[in-house]
Amino acid sequence: MSWELHRVTIVGGGMMGRSLATKVAQEGINVYLKEVSSEAVEAGKSELDSALEREIERFGLTKAEKRAIQSRITWVTHFDCASDSDLALEAVQEDFGLKRQILRELDRRMPPDHPIVINTSTLSITELAAQNTRPDRIVGMHFLYPVTTTRVVEVVRGQLTTDEVYGRAIEFARLLGKVPIKVFEMPGFVTTRVVLPLINEAIHVVMEGVADAAEVDLALKLGYDFKSGPLEWADRTGLDRVLNWLQHLYQESGEPRFRPCPLLKRLVRAGLLGAKTGRGFFSYDEGRHRTDRLPDDRPRMA
Amino acid sequence: MKILVLNSGSSSVKFQIIETDLERMNAHQDLTLAVGLVEKIGLSDSRLVLEVPERKTFQDYREILEHRTAIEWVLRILTDREHGILSSVEEIGAVGHRVVHGGEDFASSVLITPEVVEKIEACSVLAPLHNPPNLRGYYAALAAMPDVPHLAVFDTAFHQTMPAHAFLYGIPFQLYKKHHLRKYGFHGTSHRYVTFRGCQILGWRREDTRLISVHLGNGCSLAAVDHAKSIDTSMGFTPLEGLIMGTRSGDMDPAIVPWLMAMEEMTLHQVNTMLNKHSGLYGVSGVSSDMREILAARAAGNQRADVAFRMFCYRVKKYIAAYAAAMGGVDAVFFTGGIGQKSVEVRDWALSGLEFMGVELDRERNAAATDGEAEITTDGSRVRVLVVPTNEEKTIARDVVRVLNGIMPVFTPPEVVT
Repeated sequence: MSWELHRVTIVGGGMMGRSLATKVAQEGINVYLKEVSSEAVEAGKSELDSALEREIERFGLTKAEKRAIQSRITWVTHFDCASDSDLALEAVQEDFGLKRQILRELDRRMPPDHPIVINTSTLSITELAAQNTRPDRIVGMHFLYPVTTTRVVEVVRGQLTTDEVYGRAIEFARLLGKVPIKVFEMPGFVTTRVVLPLINEAIHVVMEGVADAAEVDLALKLGYDFKSGPLEWADRTGLDRVLNWLQHLYQESGEPRFRPCPLLKRLVRAGLLGAKTGRGFFSYDEGRHRTDRLPDDRPRMA
Repeated sequence: MKILVLNSGSSSVKFQIIETDLERMNAHQDLTLAVGLVEKIGLSDSRLVLEVPERKTFQDYREILEHRTAIEWVLRILTDREHGILSSVEEIGAVGHRVVHGGEDFASSVLITPEVVEKIEACSVLAPLHNPPNLRGYYAALAAMPDVPHLAVFDTAFHQTMPAHAFLYGIPFQLYKKHHLRKYGFHGTSHRYVTFRGCQILGWRREDTRLISVHLGNGCSLAAVDHAKSIDTSMGFTPLEGLIMGTRSGDMDPAIVPWLMAMEEMTLHQVNTMLNKHSGLYGVSGVSSDMREILAARAAGNQRADVAFRMFCYRVKKYIAAYAAAMGGVDAVFFTGGIGQKSVEVRDWALSGLEFMGVELDRERNAAATDGEAEITTDGSRVRVLVVPTNEEKTIARDVVRVLNGIMPVFTPPEVVT
C-alpha cells in the first residue's frame, strides 16, 4: 500500500515542537502535538498563540491563516494518537533516556512501516533505535532554529535505516519546504559540528578581551555576510543548549576544539541563558528583540 | 450537453453543472443545473454545499484530505437519488477546468493533452499558488472521468492580444526573455464574458466598439477591449498590480520593497504577504477587506475607512480615463464582480468627474442597480455604462462547446518582440 502523509504526531510542545507543528499545519497536514500534562498543553497553546500573533504583526501571516493553523493542531497528553499517524517526530530536549522512552511508546503504537523521526543535533540515531522492535524505520532529522524560516534540515541515516524510510523523511522535509542535506550519523552532523567551534572561538576572543562581544559579532556578521553574529545566534539558541552540545561533542570525540570555553560555563551558571532569559552576551526585551544593538549594526540600503 | 465546470483552489473545489450547446449559447439559454463547492479540503470538517434551483441548499460535512476524494464526493452527491441531479456520471459529457496561468503558451482554451499538462506545469513558476491546485483538480477529475474530454480555460488567454508596448515593463529587456517577466493580466474569462454580454444587451457588435470592463470583486482589474481585443489590463505579472483590492496593494513605487526589506529587516515571505494579504482596503482602513464593512464604517464616521474607500474609487477612475485614452475614446463601460455589481457608492465615486469624456451618470438608475443587468447612465450619455453580472463558469462551459466544435477563437498576440 502506498504511504501518504496526512497526519503527523509531534512529541513535545516546546519551542521546537510548536514551530514544527506550525510548519506542518501550514502545509495542510493535521498534527497531534503531545505534551506531558494538561497544564503543559495550556502553556504551550498560549505560547503558540503569541508566536502566531507576532508573525501577524510582521505581516508574515494573516488572522485567517492563524485560525487554520490552530485548527489543524490537536493537543494531546497521550501517545495513543500515534496509532493513526503516518509519521511521528519527537521534539523534546536533547536527553538520551527521555528520547529512548518516547521512541518505545511510539514504536509500540505505530504501523510498522511508518517512519519515526528523532530530532537531534548530537545524539546517535543508531543507539537510540537499537532497542526498538523496528529500528529500521527510525531516522534522524536535525531542524535548525528558527524552524519556520530556516530552509535547511539535515536528514540523518542511522546504521539500520531503510532506503524507504529515509526516502519518506526526505519527502517530509521537501513538503515542509526545506532543503534536505543527506548526512550519515556522526556527532554534530554537519551544521552543529562546524558552527560550535566557531561560537566557542568567538567566546574565547571575548574572554581574552581581544574585542567586546558586540564588535566580535558585528565583525563576523558584516565580514562574512552572516544574518546574525555567532554570539547572538548562541543567545537566541540558548547558551545552556550550546553548552550541552559542546560537552556532548567533547565527550564523544575527545577533540579539544569542542571543549567549552569557561566564559560560556560561567554565563550558564549565572542563569544568563540568552534571549529567553533576557540576557546572555546581549540584552533582549520580552519580544526577544535585541535592545543593545550598536549604531553600525543596522540595515542600510547601500 | 451537460458540462462539469471545475475551479480547484488549494483548499477548495468550486463546481457547476451547466447544460449548453451551440443552439443554447446563441440563444443565451444555457442552463445552470447545479452550483456548489467543497471547502476546507485537508481538514476534518470539510464542507460540501450544493445548490440546485428551486431546491433547498444541501450541505454535508466529512473529512476530505485531498482533491481526489473531494471530486469523488461531488460526483457521488451529484448522482445521489435524493439530492443529486444526474442519474449517472456518464451524463457528464465534458469537464472544463479553470486554469489561472497559461503564460505565453496559451492564447485560447484547449483540450488537455499530456503536452498541455506539461506546459501548464511549466507555467507554475509564474503562478505557484494557483496552477498546482488547478492541476490537482484536473488529475482528480481525470481519474474519476477518464473517458470524457477535459479542457483548460485560462485566465490569461484573453489578454494575449495586448501589444508589446502594453505588456512589457520598463526593465532590462533580457529579463523578459529570461524569466518571461511581463504583464499577463487575469480575470480574462470574466472580461470576455462581460464585454460579450454587455454588447449583446446593447445590440452592438463587439468588433465595432471600444469597451472598458471593470471587474471589482475580491480581486479587482480593468480591461480595455478595443474592437473585441484586450489591448491593456490592470493586473500584471501577478494579480498584485493595478487597482487597490481587498487585501492587495495594487500599483505602488517598486522601490518600497527593497527599502522595507532593509529597514524593517523583512524577509521575502513577509514582504510578499504584506503586499498580498495585509494591504489594500484592509491595510489602509484597519477595518476590513470587505467593501460592505468599509462603507458601514465610513458612514459611521471612520476616517481611515473613508480614505480607503476614496483611494479605491480614485484609482478605478484614473484607469477608466487612461484606457479611454489608450483606445482614443470609449463607447461603453461595464461594471461587474461583487463590488461592481452591488456597490452604488463605488460606481458613483468612480464615475463622477468623467463628464468631460461623455459619461453622464443617472443617479437614480445607479441607485436602483444593486443586482442584475442594468444601465446606469442617462439616455443622452455619450458613453453608456452598464452593470453586467459576470459568469465565468458559463464562459468556461461555452468554451468547452466551442473547442469541441472547432470554433474556439484564438487570442493571437499582434507581435512578437525578440
